[in-house]
Amino acid sequence: MSGYQRILFRFFFLYFVLQTLPFNFKYFERVPAGIGYRTLFYISRYMPGDNFATWGILAIIALAGTIIWSLADNKNRSYEQLYYWLRVLLRYRLAAGIIAYGLLKLFPQQLPFPSISQLNTHYGDFTAWKLFAISTGIVPSMESFLGLVETTAGLLLLSRRTAPIGAGIILTFTGNVFLSNLAYEGGEYVYSLYLISIALFLIVYDLQRIISLISLQQATAPDPVKPHFAKPWLRYLKIGLKALFIFFFVGVYGVTAFAAYKKAPYQYPVQAGLPAAAGIYNVNEFTINGTALPYSLTDSIRWKDVVFEKWATLSVRSNRTFTPDLSNTEEIYSNDAERNFESAGNASRQFYAYVNDTAKHILYLQNKNKHYKEDRLILHYERPDSSTIVLYNDSLHVVLHKLDKKYPLIIGRRKPLKL
Amino acid sequence: MFTTNWLRPGYRDVYDVARFQPDFINVNSESGRWGIASYASWGIALLVAIVGALIWGWFDKKRKEYNLLYYWLRVIVRYRAGIGIIGFGFTKLFPVQMPYPSLSNLLTDFGDFTAQKIYWLSIGIVPWYQVFAGIVEVTAGVLLFFRRTASIGAVLLAGALANITFVNFAYDGGVHVYSAYFVLLALFVLWYDVPAIYKLFVLQQYTVPVYHYPAFNKTWQRVSRWTLKWGAFFVFVVLLFYLQWWNYRYDPYKQPVHKAIAGTKGVYNVTEFRLNNKVIPYSPQDSLRWSQVTFEKWSTITYQVNKAVKLDLSNGGGSPKEDIDRNFELAGVAGRRRFFYYEADTTSGTLTLRDKNRSALRKGSTDRPNTKKEKDHPLVWHYERPAPGRIILYGLNDNKDSIYVILDKVDKRYTLSESTIEAGQY
Repeated sequence: MSGYQRILFRFFFLYFVLQTLPFNFKYFERVPAGIGYRTLFYISRYMPGDNFATWGILAIIALAGTIIWSLADNKNRSYEQLYYWLRVLLRYRLAAGIIAYGLLKLFPQQLPFPSISQLNTHYGDFTAWKLFAISTGIVPSMESFLGLVETTAGLLLLSRRTAPIGAGIILTFTGNVFLSNLAYEGGEYVYSLYLISIALFLIVYDLQRIISLISLQQATAPDPVKPHFAKPWLRYLKIGLKALFIFFFVGVYGVTAFAAYKKAPYQYPVQAGLPAAAGIYNVNEFTINGTALPYSLTDSIRWKDVVFEKWATLSVRSNRTFTPDLSNTEEIYSNDAERNFESAGNASRQFYAYVNDTAKHILYLQNKNKHYKEDRLILHYERPDSSTIVLYNDSLHVVLHKLDKKYPLIIGRRKPLKL
Repeated sequence: MFTTNWLRPGYRDVYDVARFQPDFINVNSESGRWGIASYASWGIALLVAIVGALIWGWFDKKRKEYNLLYYWLRVIVRYRAGIGIIGFGFTKLFPVQMPYPSLSNLLTDFGDFTAQKIYWLSIGIVPWYQVFAGIVEVTAGVLLFFRRTASIGAVLLAGALANITFVNFAYDGGVHVYSAYFVLLALFVLWYDVPAIYKLFVLQQYTVPVYHYPAFNKTWQRVSRWTLKWGAFFVFVVLLFYLQWWNYRYDPYKQPVHKAIAGTKGVYNVTEFRLNNKVIPYSPQDSLRWSQVTFEKWSTITYQVNKAVKLDLSNGGGSPKEDIDRNFELAGVAGRRRFFYYEADTTSGTLTLRDKNRSALRKGSTDRPNTKKEKDHPLVWHYERPAPGRIILYGLNDNKDSIYVILDKVDKRYTLSESTIEAGQY
């Protein structure tokens, strides 16, 4: 290493150590306890701060550290071994992050198939980010494929021989994720750029060799640096740590994520809804405080249609739009009440989670949107026949008829369709 | 390819050259259109190649190597792949391949689109992302033109197009053969470099790459090489850039070019609807009364009525020249909506309308522009604009019943962000 390379190294060493080692203990207060994929997901997504300002502060600290270090240590020391172990740290940090997202897609639950409410919402009434999620959700095979690419790239990072290939795949893959976050107004552009910065740092190390071999087409020597173990037990420690990493971030994570995908995917609520009610219903009659409101294209009080999901959520559409819940980051909630994937980014339906008192035939409704927390309803229900639901209370009386709705999205376009 | 007018090239001509692919056989079955059997032409090419290789091998036994021929084969593959992907890339770099959803599309329920349409729209709503994808594709293509950068171009191309091939399978996009064709070409180019990359990085050994380049000793050789190389560069990078810019600016090929009647663009509620002079009140269940109408920024009117229609299941592409055949806005869209192309006579206040949905005339869900447009009879309606935001339409509908419709503009706000790039002149 030449003089300026040593200074550069000191800077990047300090910067990336600050970025990756878990110094921000506060972050871990929010990590759910346990040893399943939920806990590991949040551990894998650790960043010292979720904005670019933190990066700037860390860079300033690293710069100050570089100056002190350079003054204290002006021997012509080569940092080859330290550089090697920095790359090891970053490879594993990157692998954990990439595999965590990869396995959520490989066993497709990050982007589930759209709910009935989502299928029955106008395209223009969604946020771009929600459209991105449900557009990918309609093709689970595509999602699995993307997850496979991501997981493979992460696994390639675990060996120094395949690391440049893994980093190369991540640069293009996560580069695309980053741009998608910007384009679709997603909330993870900082985190994706964080992963990209690590992948870039990793690939820079091999860049000269790559260009020399495939572009300049010259004879090229391989990376001369091998890890040095002063004592034999250090080698065993390394093997042990590697095994532990794979056990948790691939094994445990993979098994629990797969089990969740099979049994209880995390995006939609688990609690079952009104039995055999799932579907979209036309609002045939709507009476409020004794006044029957006819069908209208302009009335903002009258309901137009109601969706009952398979789980305990119903959603109502009328001639108005609402302030949508703009959540746009990936969260794994354990409680039904917090699971807002179905309602976030939707401005034309109001979503209610409900508790069904089966003895008294009463639904206790709670608006799921954080902007309408006060919106609660208690509705009696009657089901005179299999396609009719009557909802009522002191002021409201609504008659719902199930629609025999067919979706080209589900039927496919290979045969002629008349809808 | 031979119908191209080479003296006055338009973007369609250069693009058609870029899109050429051998088509030996089409298997007439579901799999032949959507699945594995659609690769039958590849199978035939493979068979011909095997038989040819056996015969060639028999007559050419003494041959030790084909270094020179291999070089030229790679040149052909590189240029074929490069030209094709640049053709595709420019329609994204100037974002017209996936247009921003029309008003009628914004008012359609998510579940009323086909999967193919969902994917195309999901790119259409992020034009800058489309531009970026175009830059990646054009860059991959340009890198393939030069032997020192060809491998990097091939990696980009293989990655991007493998993704697109998978998209086409998953979303039933129907372009899975043509996209896989590029993956094949890119992998062939890359194939040459894989052993060296493997040796240097995975085996960590000293690696000496071997490349055979023909010597261009004679002047005519150097001149021809230079001319062909930079000629291709000029036609498919410089000229096509200009042509696609022009297309984006003046004739975005998936959107009609004719402007709407000034000031009509918008969404309208059907306030009153009379059929044979009888007022029909609004009901979402009624199969005769319209509910909502859109006037697009181009000359398309749509209305919604609760009556099933045969869907146009094409991709909405094929770069048709006439506005009436530009069916992207209705291709793959359900939601019980009728689409009409119109010509307006603003002095007499008449609209001449023609139904844009030609699916009844199409054989299957193929992408060929229809050719039987003379068979339909246009509708002639009068229109009045008594007040701002109000339009009255009257005339005979396609059942020869008289209609009188009062439309009032809705101040519709969308949650989805508006497009930041607008193709065409409206």
